[in-house]
Amino acid sequence: MNIVTGWFTEIYNSFYRAIVPDRRYLAYLNGIKVTLLISFFAILLGIAIGVIVAVVKVTAKESRMKWLKAICDLYITVIRGTPLMVQLLIIYNLIFTSRNTSEIAVGAICFGINSGAYVAEIIRAGIDSIDRGQMEAGRSLGLNYMQTMRLIIMPQAIKNILPALGNEFITLIKETSVASVIAVTEVTKAAQYIGSRTYDVLPPLIIAAACYLIMVVGLSKLLGNIERRMARSDRN
Amino acid sequence: MIVIENLKKSFGDHLVLNGINETINKGEKVVVIGPSGSGKSTFLRCLNLLEVPDEGTIWFEGNNITDKKTDINLIRRKMGMVFQQFNLFPHLSVMENITLAPVKLGIMTKEKAGQKAVELLARIGLSDKADAYPNQLSGGQKQRIAIIRALAMNPDVMLFDEPTSALDPEMVGEVLDLMVQLADEGMTMVVVTHEMRFAKKVATRVLFMDEGRIVEQNTPDALFENPTHPRLKEFLSKIL
Repeated sequence: MNIVTGWFTEIYNSFYRAIVPDRRYLAYLNGIKVTLLISFFAILLGIAIGVIVAVVKVTAKESRMKWLKAICDLYITVIRGTPLMVQLLIIYNLIFTSRNTSEIAVGAICFGINSGAYVAEIIRAGIDSIDRGQMEAGRSLGLNYMQTMRLIIMPQAIKNILPALGNEFITLIKETSVASVIAVTEVTKAAQYIGSRTYDVLPPLIIAAACYLIMVVGLSKLLGNIERRMARSDRN
Repeated sequence: MIVIENLKKSFGDHLVLNGINETINKGEKVVVIGPSGSGKSTFLRCLNLLEVPDEGTIWFEGNNITDKKTDINLIRRKMGMVFQQFNLFPHLSVMENITLAPVKLGIMTKEKAGQKAVELLARIGLSDKADAYPNQLSGGQKQRIAIIRALAMNPDVMLFDEPTSALDPEMVGEVLDLMVQLADEGMTMVVVTHEMRFAKKVATRVLFMDEGRIVEQNTPDALFENPTHPRLKEFLSKIL
């Protein structure tokens, strides 16, 4: 009995040490803030890049913009063919050599560029999944290519790919933990830092894991809501 | 109204349209018939450049639409098109399907387009479906809404690409009735169809296509009663 109680006390103490003294909880909260900000801007950048690359790839199939498509293909091949951490280190050392650049900007740009390649492929698949007749119907009414894309093809494509897109965003949130290698103090880095102060690395890491879990579950809920709202037109 | 000169189109090695010359005048109801693979749908789709011809010229209301400098989007506003597969926009309500193009193209205000849509829906007896989504409708309802969606643009000509071929037999009538009404109001129509009853009743002229050419054309009575070309005789003997 005493052994079990002692064991629990010890766990309690180590978590207490990982959270309370020196207001360490603030470090986690700040880490969560950095993680969320990086993820948020990276998702926006990723969508922007993804939409542009996907539309270029779909549009350039038959037209004279073949070289644009070649650039997009190269981008996707390089990003998908190399490890995220290596990309992060290269972009960090290549562009952000100045010490006073914002860590959030660095992270958001790196992860945005990375995510854009995956999002582009997801969106392209979504566009391809829409019946050719939809484009023809839009064009036959006098809408131009871009109007038809924006008003008719994209809304349907996004609806079809929302689960895959959600998956990508969830992956992105978790992958921001890699940003700790370029000294960005997001949740993982904060946890490591606290572990090095308390000489007890496990509790802060478990807390960090819980933080990610909460963020991901929150995002899943949000995406579920959006999916439900977009399914309005599926009623029979 | 539409003048077609030496129209040619091939898909790969397959020559689909082999030199078509035709003039369609205002108010005419031209029905195009022919065996499958004869190029009749491709011919129709060339008229609003959904298929880009390899050779030849198409004039619409004095504009050379095969000229690269012509803004085809402006031309298409005046050419309504109805598809075999309806192609309603499934993510938009019936009302939005009808008003989308007029509003986004700045032809009508939202209120005016809405008013027009209400009138058109009332005309086909589907006023209660304004807020429904396309997959809540029957095939016949979908196609009739596709027709009024095109009408909402106030087109000068309507192109129909086998409008009843994807319908259950009991729904063909309601769509044809609407097309007959349009014809009676003087709409210029070009219709690719297998509905010979419709051709007989409505057409001012019937074109018979085979292997990428118009091999015979006449008024429906003359064409169906006294076919001269052997391919047309063979075709009619199979379907009538």
